Amino acid sequence: MTLPLTIENLTAHYGTTRVLEDLSLSVGAGELVSLLGASGCGKTTTLRLVAGFLEPTAGTIRLGGKDLTKLPAYKRDIGLVFQNYALFPHLSVLDNVAFGLKQRGVAAAEREKRARQMLDRVGLAQLAERLPGALSGGQKQRVALARALVIEPPLLMFDEPLSNLDAKLRVDMRVEIRQLQRANGTTSVYVTHDQEEAFSISDRVAIMNAGRIMQFDTPEVLYQRPANAFVARFVGFENLIPMRVSRRTGAEVTAEAPGGVALQFSQDKFGPIPDDFVLATRPDGLAVTSDPNVEGLPATLGLRTYLGRAYQYQCETEAGALIANGQLSPPLDIGAGAKLVPVPDQCCVLKPEHP
Amino acid sequence: MKKRYAGWILASPATIAIGLFLILPVAATIASTFGDEKGLLAPYYAFFNSGFRRGVLWRTLEISLATTAISLVVGFLTAYVVAKSPGRLKSILIIAAVFPLLTGVVVRSFAFLILLGKNGILNNFLVGVGITDQPFSMLYTQGAVIAAMVYLFVPLMILTLVGVLENIPEDVVQASASLGASPAATFRQVIFPLAVPGLIVGAVLVFTGSFTSYATPQLVGGERQMVMGTLMYQRAMVSFDWVGASTIAAIMVVITISVVLAMSRIARRLNPMAT
Repeated sequence: MTLPLTIENLTAHYGTTRVLEDLSLSVGAGELVSLLGASGCGKTTTLRLVAGFLEPTAGTIRLGGKDLTKLPAYKRDIGLVFQNYALFPHLSVLDNVAFGLKQRGVAAAEREKRARQMLDRVGLAQLAERLPGALSGGQKQRVALARALVIEPPLLMFDEPLSNLDAKLRVDMRVEIRQLQRANGTTSVYVTHDQEEAFSISDRVAIMNAGRIMQFDTPEVLYQRPANAFVARFVGFENLIPMRVSRRTGAEVTAEAPGGVALQFSQDKFGPIPDDFVLATRPDGLAVTSDPNVEGLPATLGLRTYLGRAYQYQCETEAGALIANGQLSPPLDIGAGAKLVPVPDQCCVLKPEHP
Repeated sequence: MKKRYAGWILASPATIAIGLFLILPVAATIASTFGDEKGLLAPYYAFFNSGFRRGVLWRTLEISLATTAISLVVGFLTAYVVAKSPGRLKSILIIAAVFPLLTGVVVRSFAFLILLGKNGILNNFLVGVGITDQPFSMLYTQGAVIAAMVYLFVPLMILTLVGVLENIPEDVVQASASLGASPAATFRQVIFPLAVPGLIVGAVLVFTGSFTSYATPQLVGGERQMVMGTLMYQRAMVSFDWVGASTIAAIMVVITISVVLAMSRIARRLNPMAT
């Protein structure tokens, strides 16, 4: 069984502090959606509201046709995987997994059978009789996963489930989580602050900041076409250069960067370009050249660091400090003058930020 | 070499003190009960052949078990409320719970004399309100002793349990709810078993304290509610029957240890993590 989750105009407060503002989000049936953002952005609050551990000040939460907003947590039928595993320390691994079935009145023999099957699926059948205290972090998280999956919930939620595991295990576990989620087709909400993790396992990702969703889209779109400066910075567009259009000729637009350097843009490629806009690039999207005849932003090269595939330069320009990657040979000298040329393929045109 | 002995050296002052002032006198007391010329176990036969003394032992067990049971329930409920309270209120409640401990046992037992006496506060109230026109005689009853002891020992129970309940992680309780357990089911299947180690520590403290108490039963119970502690005092200080008093002490030691062992066995059954 799998159902879509619809969150509408959700607002929440801690005391008098507003932590979530008019948040709307819909997760399709069987979809895995991540809430991604730094701590304090409201992602965990959203999860706790959906789980029923917090009450919203306004808004509704619907799972399929059912309104969950006023339902107590234990009637919501949502599988939860916690950051600290939250296993019952006094119960064996088997009893931990069978706990949800017991609450649903499943007979003892049947729940043991189903719990063992689920433990088998997460590869822990041989540890069924152990107490959680005798397990490693990865094993604990597998038990937590089995415990949430065995009740076959219409919605699964993960609260930073991998942040207590080491790097290698994290990658293995996220693949495993994705496989289990796919196999069961369970609608899932996944909270994390790790961009790579969110992008690698999600169908769609909601990037959050200060209690709002900044952009909600597939990882591909977020990575290549961020909608605003916040998301752009978040996905690694470290250079944000304010531009002003000086001339329009058909689809061709000439815009000037601070310092008066004119650059050409095609609206066929970037879509409609407003008179004032922000050009966003990753370090790879700014080519560094010492050729004085090339049209580009004049820059003074600062610190040079070696990345293996390229040299990275901290550059001083009229548009502020920028980061650009230059080719390996020959390395350019620190303190030398150079030109920075935006690579059109790797640029984004954003609306200016209104602080 | 030095390292291996460092632990022993550090522990030695306490070890020596316990050996000298606890184990040795207790051993001597118990040993003195086996020196009777009428037979090795004669003092024990004497004790258990006396209907009066068996009655005292039985009464003491009744009083201390009732005190322990009531303190467990009252203490647990109070501790649960305290542990759930927000920070500032919690400190105030804990101080309020501990406050009676700042005065002595005798003072608090006297408080019960004032409370329960013929002209005591409770009787004056009952007569005043018109529930009864004759004051009840409440002092020197088993109920009075139990009430006074509960009053005496509940703060200990609360202190022990607040610590245990606070250590139950919030997300474990939430996990239980997310798996469909109602608040009552969560309490029964998660919170209570996780609190068992604390309940056992509290029960052991209260049982040993009330089973061996002297001042409270003496003041609130008097001659009529004689318990092992007061009986022992009477044997030793009034009758100068040192062997009889030592026999009572030995029986009390054995019972206390057995009850403590039985309680930790129950604890392990309810919660495999408890020791």
